[in-house]
Amino acid sequence: MEIIVQNSDILIMLGIGFGLFMAWGIGANDVANAMGTSVGSGAITFKQAVVIAIIFEFAGAVLAGGEVTATVRKGILDSGSFVSNPELLVYGMLASLLAAATWLLIASSLGWPVSTTHSIVGAIVGFGAVGVGVDAVAWGKVYAIIASWVISPIIAGTLAIVIFKSLQSNIIDTEKPLENAKKYLPFYVFFVGFIISLVTLLKGLKHVESLKHLGKDLPTSMMIATGVGILAAILAAIIIRRIKINPEDDSDFSYANMEKLFGGLMIITACAMAFAHGSNDVANAIGPLAAVYSIVESGGEIVSKSVLPSWILLVGGGGIVFGLTTFGYRVMKTIGKSITELTPSRGFAAELAAATTVVFASYTGLPVSTTQVLVGAVLGVGIARGLASLNLRVINRIFLSWIITLPAGAIMSILFFFTLKGIFGSS
Amino acid sequence: MTKSGNITSLFGKSPISPLQKHMKQVHSCIKEFGVFAKAAQSHDWDKAQEARVSIGNKEKKADQLKKKLRMNLPSTFMMPFSRRDLLDVLLIQDSIANITKDLAGLMMTRHMVFPKEFAEDFIKLAELCIKTSGAALVAINELDELLETAFSSRERKIVAEMVKKINVLEHDTDTVQNDIRNKLFLIESDLPPVDVMFYYRAIEWLGETADAAQKVGSRFEVMLTK
Repeated sequence: MEIIVQNSDILIMLGIGFGLFMAWGIGANDVANAMGTSVGSGAITFKQAVVIAIIFEFAGAVLAGGEVTATVRKGILDSGSFVSNPELLVYGMLASLLAAATWLLIASSLGWPVSTTHSIVGAIVGFGAVGVGVDAVAWGKVYAIIASWVISPIIAGTLAIVIFKSLQSNIIDTEKPLENAKKYLPFYVFFVGFIISLVTLLKGLKHVESLKHLGKDLPTSMMIATGVGILAAILAAIIIRRIKINPEDDSDFSYANMEKLFGGLMIITACAMAFAHGSNDVANAIGPLAAVYSIVESGGEIVSKSVLPSWILLVGGGGIVFGLTTFGYRVMKTIGKSITELTPSRGFAAELAAATTVVFASYTGLPVSTTQVLVGAVLGVGIARGLASLNLRVINRIFLSWIITLPAGAIMSILFFFTLKGIFGSS
Repeated sequence: MTKSGNITSLFGKSPISPLQKHMKQVHSCIKEFGVFAKAAQSHDWDKAQEARVSIGNKEKKADQLKKKLRMNLPSTFMMPFSRRDLLDVLLIQDSIANITKDLAGLMMTRHMVFPKEFAEDFIKLAELCIKTSGAALVAINELDELLETAFSSRERKIVAEMVKKINVLEHDTDTVQNDIRNKLFLIESDLPPVDVMFYYRAIEWLGETADAAQKVGSRFEVMLTK
């Protein structure tokens, strides 16, 4: 207890520093993947993507990120093991942040597709199991998280197949695809706006003090979600109306104009993706920071207050924006230039499926990998015969990155944990 | 942050436009044979030689396109059709250009001029074969629309109609081929036997281009029904 009180300022400063580092890594790496398909299909410019990312990553983190933050903060470890030595939890969370961020930096510079989620979970489990004791890890929760990594891409893939097939029968494979696109697309957008806002209202807002009361009331939530959905649909209808249709474009390829409509709506799906990503992945940076903060603030007591002080969210959101603007834009540019095979209609289906899946994962508090969920969704469209060719070798690489990332994050966090313990001491 | 680190690496190069390009090249090759045949029959050997060189170049170019497409088709690619079927279609397409090149070569070295009894029929047969190959090209060109609709039954019906057209044209070439053989048979005893032998061969080879075009169509249909 004394150690924490004596060093409270420096521990908090370290937490903020490492948290920023981690958030920077997420912004530099992950965001580009989440939004790359929108940029890649040529639907939005890279500048628009950056602005959308800044606004919606933040909104997602603040409004819907609470449940995952809670999991990362106190779900993975069994807090009972730390009651007598709360400083160990502080060191461990600091070590985990530093380890995950360092691993992200190394892996990214080597070009490995690692997941921010996997690195932080690996790091926390690592220091908990080795540094403190096997009993310190809440294994049940860890197994649930690992299972969600397998299940979430499958769910996204299935959802993508359903969405794509319905697009096919309602719009693409009809006599008048262009007219039907104008007619039906706003409904798809409504649906997504409705689901994402409902999920956010029901579970996300309970972590936001000033908006807490909204989520408690189901009818009110339904009404607000419907309102958001209608707003999104109206926005979609306006975007669709503003797109110039040139019948000549259809002479060579009869779906050119229909694709243009889908392309316009990629702005909305990009917003959904950024929101979903913010709701799930920002927690990887601010969950450990929140844990450090709450222990230090209470002078060493492990409390389970669930509302985060807003400056912690600012660290997360700000760090991500910083990462995106200093480094992530380069990744996004590369992605934007290289995906040419993904047409807007496919991107639309894949992103809707991925965003919905990630937001649901956030609802259940499970930290999933947005990139892998998106890969699952794209594969779904491929299975529905919607894509010319997919390189399945990427799946191997993803599995490999799992196998490397979990122990890599764990080993580094164990090292950092003992270093911190050596510096600050333990009672 | 190299390429493998992001979602881009998931997308392979689409084989669709390369396949279409290849068929286009093959078709432009057999089209040149029309020029060659007319020049040869009017004893304009300079012009014929020119056309023959052009056929050779186009065949070579088609060959390069074929190799390039094959190289960019690792077995780890997931495509909306089987890789085997795609490669089959490609090979059959390529055979049209190969046969055309061999035929032009044979006619050129032997300075083959057909007897007036069926000379015009041969030109007609060449034109029909070109048309058959053109019909196959139209079908192959439908592939990007097929992909866009995710191989819907509606698009597949359109392709089925196109394939029917190819079959009708191929049948016409068979009829003309038979006519020519009948005419040749009546006069063959008056002609130099070696010439006659090669006349039969030239007619056979020309007909084979239409057969190949028909096979392109039917194999293409198989490729669509995964």
